Formats: sequence, C-alpha cells, structure tokens
Amino acid sequence: MSGLRAALWVEARKARAARVLHVAAVLLVIGAAVLSASLTAAVEAGNEQIVAKLGQAAGSEGWPLLTATVTQIVAAGAVLTFGLTLSWQFGREFTDGTAYGLCALPVSRTAQVVAKFVVHTVWTLAVAAVLVGFVVLTGLAVGLGRPDHGDPAALGRLLVLCVLGGLVAAPAAVAATLGRGPMPGIAATVGVIVLAQVSVAAAPASSAWIPLAAPALWAMRPDQVSLAQLGLTAVTAVVFAALTARAWSRLELDR
Amino acid sequence: MTDRLAIEDAVRAYGPHAGVLGLSLTVAPGSVQALVGLNGAGKTTLMRAVLGMVRLDAGSVLIDGIPVGAMPAAAWARVGHLLDRPFAYPELDVRANLEVAARLRGLPAQAVPAAVAASLGRMGIGRYERVRASRLSKGNRQRLGLSAALIADPDLVVLDEPTDGLDPAGVIALREALRERADSGAGVLVSSHHLDEVARVADRISVMNRGRIIGALEPAEAELERAFFELVLADDRRHEGDSV
Repeated sequence: MSGLRAALWVEARKARAARVLHVAAVLLVIGAAVLSASLTAAVEAGNEQIVAKLGQAAGSEGWPLLTATVTQIVAAGAVLTFGLTLSWQFGREFTDGTAYGLCALPVSRTAQVVAKFVVHTVWTLAVAAVLVGFVVLTGLAVGLGRPDHGDPAALGRLLVLCVLGGLVAAPAAVAATLGRGPMPGIAATVGVIVLAQVSVAAAPASSAWIPLAAPALWAMRPDQVSLAQLGLTAVTAVVFAALTARAWSRLELDR
Repeated sequence: MTDRLAIEDAVRAYGPHAGVLGLSLTVAPGSVQALVGLNGAGKTTLMRAVLGMVRLDAGSVLIDGIPVGAMPAAAWARVGHLLDRPFAYPELDVRANLEVAARLRGLPAQAVPAAVAASLGRMGIGRYERVRASRLSKGNRQRLGLSAALIADPDLVVLDEPTDGLDPAGVIALREALRERADSGAGVLVSSHHLDEVARVADRISVMNRGRIIGALEPAEAELERAFFELVLADDRRHEGDSV
C-alpha cells in the first residue's frame, strides 16, 4: 500500500481543521450529557411518560439510571453522528472538487481510504473519551457522588459503544463514494439505524447476531451478547472498509 | 529519447460524437504541447484518460514509456496536474493546502517547507499564506491549484484550462512556470480556449474537434483565430457531409 504514512498525515491535518467533525462531536457530547441529565431528573421526579419510554432502565436510580439513559441515547446518536462525519469525509472530496487532485498520485487510493478510516476511528475514540468524561462530570454535578460498584464498568461499556457506533457507520463510506457526495452516506446511516431497530423488534432472540444492533444490545445487557457476536460488528466494519477501498480504487471521474 | 507522454489511437466514447474518438499525440521532453478546441471537443476527457481518471475503450497512454494502467504508484510522483477545480481544501489555509499537496506527491517531510516556500513565490501567493482557501478569490484559488500541481517539479505537467480566472499577472506567472518546467526537461500538455495565451507558451498547438486531432497551428501565425476556425469549420462540414 503505497504512501500510507503521507495519507495518514494528510487526513489527520484535514481532520484537525474540519469544522464538521468538531461541531458533530460537540453536538453528540453536549446533547448526550444534557439529554441524559434531563431524562434522569424526569424519572426521579416520577414522569410516567419518560419512565415508559426508558423501559427497564427507568427501574434503577443514581449512576445506573444515568449510564443506562446515556447508553440508550448514544446507541443511536453515535451511529448517526459518526455516520454523518464519515459521509462527509468521503463525500466532500466530490462536492469540494478535490477528488480529481487525489488521482494520479504516488499515494494510492487504497492508502487514502485506509487513512480516512484510521483517522475516523481515532476520532471516534477521542470523542468517546470526552463523552464519558462529560457524563461523569454530569453525574457529579447532579449530586450522584463518586461512581462505584458496577458504575465504572457501565461507563467503560459506554466508551466502547461509542467507538463501535463509529464502526457500525462504515456503510456510509461506501454509499458516499458510490453516490459521490455526503448525502447518500447520510441516507445509508439512517438506513443502518432503522435496520438495526427493525431487526431487533422483528427477531429479538437472534438480534445479538446482527452486527448493526449488537453493540447497543451489549451496552444495555452485557450478559446477553457474546464477544464473538460483538466481534462480528468489527468484522462487518472491515468488510465495508474493504468495499469502500475497492469502490474508491475503481472510481472513474467522468462526470 | 522516450516521450514524456505518448497517446496512441485513444478511444473513450460517450456516444457516436462525444469523448475521444481515436486520437494520437506525443509530448516530448522539453516541449509544451497545447490542445485547443471548442467546448465538447474532448480535451478534458483526453486529459482524464492520461491521468487514469477514466479508462480507455481502446488505444493506449504511456507516461515515460510506461502504460498508465501499469504505472507503479511511485512513478506518479513525477506527474503534476490540475483538472476541473483547483486542489484546495476550503478549511485549510494556503500553506496547509500546499503542504498537503507536497505530501501527497511523495515529498519527504523535511523537503516540504522548502517546496512550499518556492511554490508560494512561483505563483505569487505568498501574502495569502495564512488565508483559508474558502476566502480566496477565484483567481487566487486557481493560483493555489497551479502551485499544488507544480510543487514537486514534475516531469509531466497536465493542465486543463489553467488560465481560468487568472489575472494578467497570474497568466504571466503561469507562463514562466511552464517554460521553466519545460526548460528543465519536463513535458507539458495544456488545454485552453484562449489562442493568444496558448501561442505565447506552446511549442506545438494541436486542434481538437469531435474527439479527434484535426490539425495543427503554428504558434507564430499572425491569424491564429482565423486558422483555428477554418480547421474546425472544415471538419464540421466534412462530418455533416458524412451524415447526409
């Protein structure tokens, strides 16, 4: 793979200056923190509608209630956020007209795709760490005290869920490449979220085997999802990354 | 000596009358080859095929004797190009865009600052060094795109309508930059609608129409525009005659 080091440098440089990535991260982190604090307060105040919406999670209190609430928000919110940013990372090369400049270079197109995915994954990890930090601060701010017993594990699962949300969004890259713009990638992301929800509702017994749904199920009910089922999510992301690399390499810029 | 670029019987058709429809052309080291033609003549399609952005239906393109489809990735470091829009990320400033272009063209990290400094001076955009590309005028974005294309001192330069949006000073800077590359042994392929500009920089001018080379113009010719239209109109009449 020729020029991977240069490609990584370039993608990291672009990401540092990309307002889209920063705004999306802020919206996810602040949104999840504010929303979860509000929902937690609503449950503790006995709001029946919110209790009904949160299901099992509403039966707990303190840190378990807060982490369960954030987990529900992040399960869909992370996929949407990272699907949007991944769509932009690939699709913007067409809408900004830079795709032509990425051809006929010593840095291969495969290296460019790998670099985009590496930067995307590092970005999701950074956002996940900040998000968990904000949740901890939120819990302390609303007077939950220091997390103990199973709380650190729940926060750890939240971090992993956030990163896996970035992997689940991988189909967005293929769609943005084939559709030559961010919009098809965003549409694919919405499709992924809908597909995950529908498949869980249609086949709850086997939904842990659905790579798009497994991370959310695991974060909420870790004993019901095996490592192999979770690993399938990573494998699926690698497959979509490979499909993106293939599409990118075979791309003809004739329009 | 091997031609910097050799195109033989190239075909990339978009229907019976559009695209590149059987065209041969060479660009020798040290020469500037201009392509002129009306809109839709096939100039951009030809340049895309040269750079591997589209695949030919038939024929071949060789860069320094190597078929484009078989070019090792490292060999592309010797090619500089600007097609469609300037290679400029709007959120990056001029310097960062040139650093990105330099790294993508295979320059080692330690060689980038000198290459960027030379590039800023070559196209006269040094005072915009810290200005984001999104805030540049069209002409300065074009200067940035040209600087990016030439930053690694390529042996083959492929530019589609490079004077698009440039002011007279920019046109002169480009002309000098291309002459300097050609004098260093590079081959330059440039397309343009502007016959006067082309005449000032090109060693050879080929006229394209309906996907084919239909003749050549002498850069020193006084009535360049008249000679161009005579060639094009004669070709159009010939085709109309064929289709009757």
